[in-house]
Amino acid sequence: MAEYVHPEVLVTTEWVAEHAADPKVRIVESNEDRALYIQGHIPGAVEIDWQVDLQDQVRRDYIDRAGFEKLCRTYGISNDTTVVFYGDKNNWWACYAFWVFKLYGHPDCRIMNGGRKRWDLDGRAWSTDRVHPQQTSYVAPEQDVSVRALRDEVLKHQKAGRALVDVRSPEEYSGQRLHMPDYPNEGALRGGHIPGAVNVPWVLSVNDDGTFKSVKELEKLYTKESRLKRRSPTVAHCRIGERSSLTWFVLKYLLGFSNVRNYDGSWMEWGNCVGVPVVKGTEPSGGSEPHGVADAARASVSPAPVHA
Amino acid sequence: MHDAPRMTSVETRLNSIISEFADLDGREKLELLLDFANRLPPLSATYLERKAIEDRRVHECQTPVFLWPEVTAGRARLVAEVAPEAPTVKGFVALLAEAIEDQPAAEAEALPDDLLERMGLAEVLGILRTRGLRSIVGHVKRGITRQFNAQP
Repeated sequence: MAEYVHPEVLVTTEWVAEHAADPKVRIVESNEDRALYIQGHIPGAVEIDWQVDLQDQVRRDYIDRAGFEKLCRTYGISNDTTVVFYGDKNNWWACYAFWVFKLYGHPDCRIMNGGRKRWDLDGRAWSTDRVHPQQTSYVAPEQDVSVRALRDEVLKHQKAGRALVDVRSPEEYSGQRLHMPDYPNEGALRGGHIPGAVNVPWVLSVNDDGTFKSVKELEKLYTKESRLKRRSPTVAHCRIGERSSLTWFVLKYLLGFSNVRNYDGSWMEWGNCVGVPVVKGTEPSGGSEPHGVADAARASVSPAPVHA
Repeated sequence: MHDAPRMTSVETRLNSIISEFADLDGREKLELLLDFANRLPPLSATYLERKAIEDRRVHECQTPVFLWPEVTAGRARLVAEVAPEAPTVKGFVALLAEAIEDQPAAEAEALPDDLLERMGLAEVLGILRTRGLRSIVGHVKRGITRQFNAQP
């Protein structure tokens, strides 16, 4: 059976169970819902929260290098620690945390395939113990910008006709969905997508048990049907850059794309920018089938995530 | 000496809940929220039937949340179902339900929007989650108002 290009970044629940007490390994849980960790976590795992721990609380950006070093020291992570991420929601937030760790150049990061769901399905025990990691020393390099795309770079990338993959739901991509009736718009002033971006909803990359699809299925999805190329510079984005960090992980590590970046500003930046190109509709170029009544009705009941 | 303005019964309940949360650290606050989540009763057969035919899902929540803000004889009540994978949302909804249960509808309509800040939960949950939960407060208040206005 064909293998992922970098199979070493994925570990099984069995591997985690065996290594949970290994001093060279730190298990990190990252969730949509923080109370899940309190309800029960993998024995010995610490929780790193994407909003409270990884993001700057004043500027819209990640914590700075000093903040990242402090975070690692507090959670018992050294430069040579193997950090294994897992979480709820098919590892969305685990991939997001993984990406931030790569942004600060942490060498050995892995994902526990299947996350909380797979751990549960495998009948493994949860712990409610408080985890008190020993302080470590940690020195982080400057950000590795090869994994991150900023707005102006995305604009250049788009103008050059390079590959963009929009991983939001089809309704968000086409511009049908922007905000709910009765509610203030939570994110963007304009709906639609970046011209040229192909739409591959992130959820197509994972199986029902939360694990990643096989390399064959992923190749079909990304390189055959969506015609993305392993050697072409590619940028992934979603609404706030979290669903696309899962797609970034899939493209870079499972399929071996040599140059793929996550645009973390994503639609909550692009859809508010003055003067950037936006198209509506189901096609990358913006050409589309007309929005029928049935589509509009579907959009109004579809549970597309709004705060993610 | 001036008389303090009389607090409504919903305010009294909320203040007692807020003071329960006040001195706890982040982890303990989430533990207390889990206690609320565990107290949310499952839907009765009547509401399970209604769930199948009524559009009660709160669409701006990622996880399945179904709410029935109701008014009977001028008294408010919140019936709810929240998916177990969202215990924070479940706990907060349960807390709102306990606060307004059988209280005058006009008081339930006045639920404060800054509850999470006053409980000290906003900094534990972060900006986006706080915003999501706050929209649930708005949803409940609007539902109560609609029901209240529809009363004979």
